[in-house]
Order: sequence, then C-alpha cells, then structure tokens
Amino acid sequence: MDTTKTHEEWLREMEEKSRAKQKTFIGGISSKLRRPMVDDAPPHPFRGSPDFWNAYEWNEQERINRFTDNFVSVGGHVQRLETMEEVRGFITDKANELSAKYIVRQNEPELAGLNLEDELPDARISVWNTDPEQHWKARSAEADIGVVMVDYAAAYTSSMVVLSSKDKGRSVSLLPTVLIAIIPVERIKTRLGEVMVQFDESGRANLPAGIHFISGPSRSSDIENDLTIGVHGPGVVYALIVG
Amino acid sequence: MSHGPGTAGGATVKERADLALNNEFLRKAVKFTTERLKNGKLKAMEEHGNWEEWRERGRQIRLHTIAHLDYYLNMFVENARANGVHVHFAETAQEAVDISLSIAERKSAKSVVKSKSMVSEELHLNHALESIGVEAIETDLGEYIIQLAGEVPSHIIIPAIHKNRFQIADLLSEDAGEKLEADTKILAGYVRRRLRAKFLEADIGMTGCNFAIAETGSMVLFENEGNARMVTTLPKTQITLMGMERIIPSWADLEVMATLLPRSATGQKLTMYMSGITGPRRAEDADGPDEMHIIIVDNGRSLQLGDPEFQELLNCIRCGACLNACPVYRHIGGHAYGGTYSGPIGAVLTPSLQKNIAEWDDIANASSLCGACYEACPVKIPLHDMLVYLRRRKVEAGYGNKIENAGMKGFATLLSKSGRFNTVIKLGKIGQKFISRGGEIRLKVGPLAGWNTYRVTPTLPKKSFRQQWGTLDAEIRNGLQEMSPDIKKRMEHAIKDRAKGGGHGHGHN
Amino acid sequence: MKVSLFITCLSDAIYPRVGEAMVRLLARYGVTLEFPTVQTCCGQPAFNSGYWKEARATAKTIIDAFEDSDFVISPSGSCTGMIHHYPKLFEDDPAMLERALALQSKSFEFTQFLVNVLGVTDVGASFPHKVTYHPSCHGSRLLGVKEEPMALMSKVKGLEFVPLPHAEDCCGFGGTFAVKMSDISGAMVTEKSDHVKETEAEVLVGLDMACLMNIGGNLRYRNEPVRVMHLAELLYEGVK
Repeated sequence: MDTTKTHEEWLREMEEKSRAKQKTFIGGISSKLRRPMVDDAPPHPFRGSPDFWNAYEWNEQERINRFTDNFVSVGGHVQRLETMEEVRGFITDKANELSAKYIVRQNEPELAGLNLEDELPDARISVWNTDPEQHWKARSAEADIGVVMVDYAAAYTSSMVVLSSKDKGRSVSLLPTVLIAIIPVERIKTRLGEVMVQFDESGRANLPAGIHFISGPSRSSDIENDLTIGVHGPGVVYALIVG
Repeated sequence: MSHGPGTAGGATVKERADLALNNEFLRKAVKFTTERLKNGKLKAMEEHGNWEEWRERGRQIRLHTIAHLDYYLNMFVENARANGVHVHFAETAQEAVDISLSIAERKSAKSVVKSKSMVSEELHLNHALESIGVEAIETDLGEYIIQLAGEVPSHIIIPAIHKNRFQIADLLSEDAGEKLEADTKILAGYVRRRLRAKFLEADIGMTGCNFAIAETGSMVLFENEGNARMVTTLPKTQITLMGMERIIPSWADLEVMATLLPRSATGQKLTMYMSGITGPRRAEDADGPDEMHIIIVDNGRSLQLGDPEFQELLNCIRCGACLNACPVYRHIGGHAYGGTYSGPIGAVLTPSLQKNIAEWDDIANASSLCGACYEACPVKIPLHDMLVYLRRRKVEAGYGNKIENAGMKGFATLLSKSGRFNTVIKLGKIGQKFISRGGEIRLKVGPLAGWNTYRVTPTLPKKSFRQQWGTLDAEIRNGLQEMSPDIKKRMEHAIKDRAKGGGHGHGHN
Repeated sequence: MKVSLFITCLSDAIYPRVGEAMVRLLARYGVTLEFPTVQTCCGQPAFNSGYWKEARATAKTIIDAFEDSDFVISPSGSCTGMIHHYPKLFEDDPAMLERALALQSKSFEFTQFLVNVLGVTDVGASFPHKVTYHPSCHGSRLLGVKEEPMALMSKVKGLEFVPLPHAEDCCGFGGTFAVKMSDISGAMVTEKSDHVKETEAEVLVGLDMACLMNIGGNLRYRNEPVRVMHLAELLYEGVK
C-alpha cells in the first residue's frame, strides 16, 4: 500500500479506474445483448405488482386486526392503545416490570411528549444524537429498551417501517434487548407496495440512508430448523398501535 | 473444478453422492429441513393466492431487467454514486478480491464482519482476507457455525443444514472454551453475545445484495437475524458484493420480489428484516457507515447473457426453492455438488459460470429431469431443460463419454427403422434365456449391476405388441362398435380447435 | 378420422398388455386404433443425454409414422412429452419444425384423450381393491395431466383410493439417470416404495410404464406383494 497518498487521493484514483472500467464492463453487456447501449428508458409494461393486487385494500379495523394477527404469529406483541397517555403508561409499566436501567429513544417530539424521564426516575434515558460527544452506537448496545416512532406500517405482512435521520438512529431499533415501537393508527397501510411506491415517488435524493422494514423479533432456524428468537436483533418487540 | 475447503471429498458428483448416501444423519437432516421449507412454501403460496400470476409477474420483471441490463446497471451506478457510494467493477473473482483487499488495507482493517453473501463464497474471500491478516467473521448463525467447522454452505438459505445440534454444540464449545449444552437457545445465546462484541469493534462490514434498485441506487437485504443490519449500521466502512444481475428497476418492483422471495425460501410472508440502504450515513446521522463501497461482480455471469438457452439463469433470485423441491438434493445434500451453488440451480449455474465444458456432464447428470425445480421456481427458470442443453453442449463439444457415444449412435441406427427394432427384441429374448428365472432377472452384473442392486428386471414376454397386433386388430374389427355421435362430434371439434391454434398440455413454452 | 396408437418401446417390448388394454377399451367407444408399424422409439434417451443428432433421427421416424394421423395416443406421459420437445429439436429446420408442431398438437397421453377429447370419465368399470396412484413427473408437470386419472378412478366402482404420500416426488427412474447415477436413483426408488408401502394399497397404478417398471422392480426386489399396473389395464380389467 502506498502510504504517501491521502485516503481522499486514493478514493479519487479508484473512482477514475471505476469510471474507465464502467465503459468496458457495461459496454460488454450491451455487446453480449447484441445491440448498442440503450439511452432511453425501455418500456416496462410489468412494473410493480399486478393490477388486482394494487386495488386490494382493507378498512382500518381490518388493517389493525391483520397486523396484530400476523405480528403475534411471528412472536411479536401488539397493544391497541387510544392515546399517548396510555402509551406512556404502558412503557412505564413495562420498564418497571423488566427493571430496565437504561432506555434509549429517538429524538422525536411525540416521544419527548411522553416525559419518560419523569415517569422513570431510576432509569437512565438518553435521546438519540443529542450530544456529539456520546458514542451513540455503544449507548444503544447497552440499552435494555429502545423506543421508536414508526413511519409507516403494512398490515399484510405486519411490517413496521422506520427511516433513519439525524434524530432517528438505526441502532435504536436494532441493538437494545427490547424494542418498543409506536404506530399511529393512520400510518398503517394494507400492502407493502403502498409504502414502497412512496420511495419511488419521493425519488433518490430524498431517501434516507436506512429504510428498515421490521416484521417481528429477530429469529433464526439455522440450528436443526429449530426456531430461536432474538439472535442478533431485539428478541422482544412491542408494537403499540395508537389512536 | 475448484472446491472450497470442507467440501465432501471425491472427484466426481457420483463419488461425492455415494459418500452422502452412506451418511444416514446427513440424509435425515437434509430431508427433514427441506421438507419443512417446502411445505412452508406451499402453505404460503396457497394463503397468498394467485401464485401463478405473481410468478409470471416476477418472471416478466426479471426478463425485462436482464434484457436491458446495460441500461439499468448504468442507471444504478450513476444513482449509487450520487448517493455517495464508491462503485467498483470486477470482471473476475480475482479482481473482486483485489478490490476488497485494497479497501481493507487502506482502512488498516483488523476485522471484517460479514453477513451472508453467496458472491463472497464464489470469491473464497474469507481466505483472501485472512492471508493479509484480516479476521473475517461470518455473522449469520448458520454461516458462523460452518465457518468454525471450516466448511462451505450446503444450502443457499440454511447453510448448516447438514449439521445437528450436537455437532454444533461441539463446535461452539470449542469456540467458547467451555462446555455448552446442545440446546438451541443456549447455543444461539452464546453466538449473540460473542458476535455482539465483534460487530462493535469491526472496521468493515461486508454484505451481499439481494436486490439493487436502479432508479434510486439503493441496495436491499432480506434477513431474519438482524446481523445484516448490524453489518450495515455499526462498522465505519461498508463493502457490498453484488452480482451484476441483482438489479430491479424500482421500489414498486421490489414489492413483487418481496412477495416471491421469502415465501419461496422459507414460507414467510416477509423476512423479519428487509433493509433498503441508500448510500453511506448522511453527514448529520450518528450511525451507518462513513464510507460505502459496492463491488459489482461478473465472474462468469455475462457468459449467459445473449445465450437464449441460458440467459434466464440470470433471473434467479437465490431463494433455494429448487433445492427444497429436488429429490436428488434431498438424498445427497449440497456438498455433493462440489461448487458454491448446489441443487438444481447449482447443477446448471456452476458449469455455466465456469464455462468448463469438460466438467459439465458430471454435475448435469445428477438429475432425473423430473421438473420439480421448474415447478418450484418463483421466476419460472426452466432448469430441467437447461440440464439437457448442458448435456448436449458437452456431446457437441466432443466431451461425450466414449461408450455412450457408441451406444447412442447404435441407438439411432437401430431405432430409426422399425425392422431393426424388431431384431433387437428378438436378440433380447435369446439373451435373457441365460439369465432369467421365473420371469425375472436378478443378476447384478454388467449393465444391469446398478439397476439390479435395487430392483428386479422383468423379462420380455413371448410376443411383443407389434407381433400381436395383426390378431388383435382383426379381432377388434370383427366386433366393431359404432361410434356415438357425441364422441364423433367431440373428436371433430378437437381437430377444428387445433387448427385455430388451441393447444393442450401446459408445458412452459 | 384416423386415431393412431403410439405404443412406445417399453409397452411394445415388455408390456404389450398395456397397448392391448388401450385398444380394447377405446374400441368400446367406436374408436378403432391404427398401429403404424414403422414407429419406433420417441428418442428421449438420446435427447436427454445430449445426443440430439441421434434424437433427431428417431424423431423423424416418429413424425413420418404419424404424418396422416388425426390423433396420436400413447400410454406414456413421458413419451408424449418427448414429442413436445420435437419443435426444439428442429428449431433451425422450418419444414421439419412445422411437421413437429403439427404432431405435437395432435399427440395425447391416454387419459388426456379419454377424458379431455372423448369426454369419458366413467368407463363403467368395477375394481374392488385398495389403489394408490403415482403421478409421473413428465405427464403431470410437462403435459399437465393431473385431474384426468383422478376423474377416471373416482368413477370406478368399488375402487378404494388411498393417496400416495409425497406422490409428486420423482421415483428416480430418469432414463439413463438410473444407470449413470444408480445409487441416487436407488435411494429415490427405495423412498418411493416406502411411501407405497405406507398406503397399504394392494395396487399401484400409474400412467407411465418406465416409472412403474422402476417402482415395481424395487417392490418386487423387496418382496412387497403390491400389484403394479397401468391405469388402462386397471380400467380394462374392470370392464371385462
């Protein structure tokens, strides 16, 4: 390795190589396909799901029921709550029940409004990315409970979708032992596709770095096809449907 | 053919298969798990409904993307760069290894945590990393187990399908330096603790790529354990190895793949985690990699492009459904195939990626051509036809077996004329006089040895059908029955229908 | 209308009784089968082993043999399935391709013809035995013959049908596969026979003598007293 180069210089060199190679690599594909490189978007008549599926929709109660059934069937827990007051009560009870010493939560106004710090004076509660000196990944790894707001949900597969940002760490839904995810009821769609098309519509430049669909607790069947829960990600997941 | 360490010994599929067939535990374990996965898939298909329409849609999306791969790959690359990703191209396995190693060196990496990647298995990357002093750690539970055992995966989805929990307990106990009970919970709990530390201290996270979305430059990972999320969230540098055919145009298309892949692989509605990663962390984010590399790998894939008999191989979404449906795989397991990919897809993909004509026949022969793989495939790849094409190309290239060559020439000579066919039957009747007992042949010698190790061969009857035909025909015509008008009408209708192009039999054409 | 019997090698040489059952059964509906004696093998062993030049030679013999037939009926889904591969064999020969397509469109496996063309499901048979059925791969997967045999068996008086566990699994025959990979094939047929035994059926019925010779040969080897027969034989025995 040439240590006299700065890393930036090295990356630039690699980029130049890559751009040169791109021409031959992709040109090779065109010639294998026996035609010149296509510049215009080819018509794609089969884009996305079949029409009958795109028309498929459940009403709100059905969405809640199906989400709940699916999520429970894969080992998750669901609570149907009316207000954020009830959410506060649930989290407080759960934290006490589990003797949680350390909780990490996303930096979102709905979560700030829960005032967990007042409710749980014995627990250390930290708010994601509020202190540049903190090692936030390590903080999340120590946490007993992670608390997040869910951006979207899809009832058909019981998936909760969380997007990353400055205030929303990917680690918060991943590293703690227990995950508590709050789903405002109006964010529950019927199909995965209803969520996915929004990413097409918003376009590349507006996508966050991490988009995560979470459909239950971490699991593995790698040992004798015997199901184990909580292999790397949270083994206990609560979905709180509110509103 | 090169095989990785730990591959079952034996130079040919037949030899490796014999080893597997004599391993009662292996056969039971593989049978048990493939059956569970297969039944899970059937249940999921039925529950979801309209499976044939979904399958057809999946196939069309894959066909379209591969037919315009240059366009979509270019688009993906431009968008990924715009997201801040460093994109690299590797025509060969060696180039991909070199790029990976130079990134690791540049980062002065001590360890790399990896989530499951079949491309990485193609490259034998772990050994390359270790050769420059970088620890490579597989973090998928099954992959971690077989890495400890010094083996390679024997199933695309369940890499350690061939190991039981006592064998696993032994491996993990040695790793832990203490005796661990052969209890799934205890074993998985140990791996969780052990790898948690590795995730947090690793310099590089390395992943495969299930799908790459051209329009947004995002890469998508499906997984159940959360290790792929760890690998893409915690280390400062992320390297993604991506087969150049992994592209789909849009997120809308991802819904179709997300419908087909988990259901076909494990019978799940969706894996517990599906992540779309669009570039490295944003400047203001507090996790995610600072630097992200995607290495786009050819390694033999372009050999199938523009080849009408094999291009559809590139449609494969690596679900493993063909392995679970295959009766041959069930009996011999993955290692008998001797390559990175096993089962029906491996039998076609391995020789296709290697363009190694001399080796083709051996693997391609390990199939009864029953078509269960095609029926199970969520994107309808006609693997059973491709196996025949491979066999044909080997013969055409002059690598046919000499005895078989002579036999097949004789076959054509004898069977293109019915008179000669009659002679064969007559000779057979004379021959069998010496070896048959009570209308059966049980002798285990010569060409009958393999067959008669498991079966009894029937003898030829006194008269073949064609020898009886004259008498039978005369008797039938004697007592001829009038055809009913209804039957006559139906037959005439069938002929008319045919002229209009109405077919019957629904093969895959 | 000319309806021809495509006897297939195995039924010609080893199991002529299957051809006879088809001829006699169809005669009851006024369908008189013709037997063009120039026919030979469909060419599948050569085709599947990659010897397409040789397969073309026999395919041409078959195409010639049935040129003037309106229907070509065989007792094997696999051999009729092979005829469905003929267009691929002749894809570079337009004149032969056209003839191959014509033959494909008029070729039927026995139960396809009986049920889908003639519209017959109740042949008036009686067969008071416990019967299980192995759906051969090529018939069921390549030709899509799935419902037809079920419809026919459901109308046979006294027939007690027992489903075969894992019925859709290949029996392990696979033509030259059984010779080249004899131990894998042996493991497959052993498992198949185990499943047949589980059903406690007296009779195993199928639509392809190659698979039945394979399974039957294994059952016989193990001295299992299961009678193995083609569905045409069963139906004919039931109406005799």
